[in-house]
Amino acid sequence: MTTFSRRGLLQAASAGVAVTGFPGILRAQSRDLVVGGAAGMAGYMREFVFPVIERQSGMRVVFDGTRSLVNLEKLRADKASPRMSVVLMDDPIMQIAWAEGLLEKLAPSATPNIAKLIPTAIHLDGAWVNYQAPWVGIGYNRDSMPRGVDSYEALWAPANRGKVILPSLQNTEGLWTMIVAAHLETGKPFAEAQYDADAAFKKLATLKPNLLTIYTNQPQAENLLESGEATLMSGQFSSYTLIRKAGGAPVDLAAPKEGVFAMPSGICKVKNGPNGELANAFLNAFMSAEIQQILAEKSYVLPTNTEARLPAGFVVPPGTPFAPDWENVNKNRDAWIRRWNEVMA
Amino acid sequence: MTRLGIGWLAVPACVFCLLVFALPLALLLLESLRDGQGWTLDGYRNFLGSAYSWQVTTRTLRLAVLTTLICIIIGYPAAFALARARGVWQALFVAALLLPLSLSVIVKAFGWTVLLRSNGVVNRLLMASGLTDAPMRLIFTETGLLIGIANIFLPFMVLPIFSVIRQIDPRLTDAAATLGAGPIHGFTRVVVPLTMPGVVAGVTLVFSMSIAAYVIPTLLMGDRYQTLSTTIATSFLYLQDPQRGSVAGVVLLVLSLLVVGASVVLARKVRATP
Repeated sequence: MTTFSRRGLLQAASAGVAVTGFPGILRAQSRDLVVGGAAGMAGYMREFVFPVIERQSGMRVVFDGTRSLVNLEKLRADKASPRMSVVLMDDPIMQIAWAEGLLEKLAPSATPNIAKLIPTAIHLDGAWVNYQAPWVGIGYNRDSMPRGVDSYEALWAPANRGKVILPSLQNTEGLWTMIVAAHLETGKPFAEAQYDADAAFKKLATLKPNLLTIYTNQPQAENLLESGEATLMSGQFSSYTLIRKAGGAPVDLAAPKEGVFAMPSGICKVKNGPNGELANAFLNAFMSAEIQQILAEKSYVLPTNTEARLPAGFVVPPGTPFAPDWENVNKNRDAWIRRWNEVMA
Repeated sequence: MTRLGIGWLAVPACVFCLLVFALPLALLLLESLRDGQGWTLDGYRNFLGSAYSWQVTTRTLRLAVLTTLICIIIGYPAAFALARARGVWQALFVAALLLPLSLSVIVKAFGWTVLLRSNGVVNRLLMASGLTDAPMRLIFTETGLLIGIANIFLPFMVLPIFSVIRQIDPRLTDAAATLGAGPIHGFTRVVVPLTMPGVVAGVTLVFSMSIAAYVIPTLLMGDRYQTLSTTIATSFLYLQDPQRGSVAGVVLLVLSLLVVGASVVLARKVRATP
């Protein structure tokens, strides 16, 4: 008579579970879509946007939140075998990624909603697209600045000594303060002042007494603004500050008289990334009116889909948000970061 | 077991160290000696010829030296208190020292950014004790950074010294006293030399960790406080300049080894002093 040992039975049971369960595990993994993006957007994306797409497409979005430049570095490192399928990054970083052959052009047949976008939201014939347009101004603490902020000069005002936070030039939003500094130093409009780095750094050096800190991690800095430790935070966008305001935080976003900026929010498909079909579904959803209306309502950004409606009470800042010459930015950014470190340290 | 047999037991550790430590260090050194065109010393010339690089290096050294000094000044007597405590008290002290080690450095550093605020616990204590009339600015200052980093690294100074003190025979000080040594003389000539191995171990740990600290200065000081570690990160991640980052890495390593080596030599001299 054949006898069964306990160890033998356990081994057989384990093998059975492995044989029958493994395909299931593989299937579950195959519906995962790894998406890279900014750390600051993780909250509202996970709460309001990803669940809708997950319901529509049956995928599970795995969001990897960090900075655009770090995402670029990840794309470079994983070029042979990409881990991410879709990345949300700023336009200047998209330009670099495209030039290095890291992106796959979006095909209108796979992402038909691309036809509904405003023409300026489509870059290099579909290398990447803008899925939203947040506007940029000065974030401020309402308790400390009850009258708001009417000019960028407030960053330099003696009353704000040790109370100003700047984004690092390593972050894309750090660029806006540099352009503002050049504008205030020279009196030239943003379109001309953006090319005068010497004037910008001359003016920025005079801002040092007012600095509380320079951040590379936006959520930590936002926390300081909300607690009142800082009163002003330059280069902030509607998709962060106004969400916090709506959530009850004592902060607001000012549109200074000198003008506001356009934060370029791009989305792209990673070349040879996993789950190409799911990536197309995700990209198409981000270009749809439905998702863009959610983004407009929850993160106070302007949609790029021509069919998307603005929610009631949506405040559009006066004037056209300024978009800089990204080619010039990319050409000089390394040198600017080196100079920034030396001047601002 | 034969001597050869015992020697083989070290092979896995040697292979691991070779692959994980020696090889990357060799690659780092090679990277610092080449640019896009070939082999060159330009990376070192540029680094040593730049006033900014010297500023960053000096700042990094200053942070490491001050952190180590603060940890010795607080940690040395604390290690004695810990070793002399008995029963529940000793268990409590050890738990107080070890439990924070289970927390991530990021959590602890972020905690300090809250504690050091104008309305944080530190400023409230200072005002309540009458030491200050108004909130002091501590956050994003070097003082705040030193408070935070010394707190985080203190256990690494206390524990090695504590483990050495526990092994010192208490009768040695009695013997010194019978030979005419006063308490101070007995302490400086008998106890201090015997604790030197623990001090050297503590200094090595704290200095090495503080000279290479990245997360704590970044969270407690922000982007304005550039050290060799932040220079390495910026060079590789943002500037795409691996040679600059590698040179900064080699400089960091050399400084670390020099100071640790010097502390070992100094400790030997103290022990050898009659």
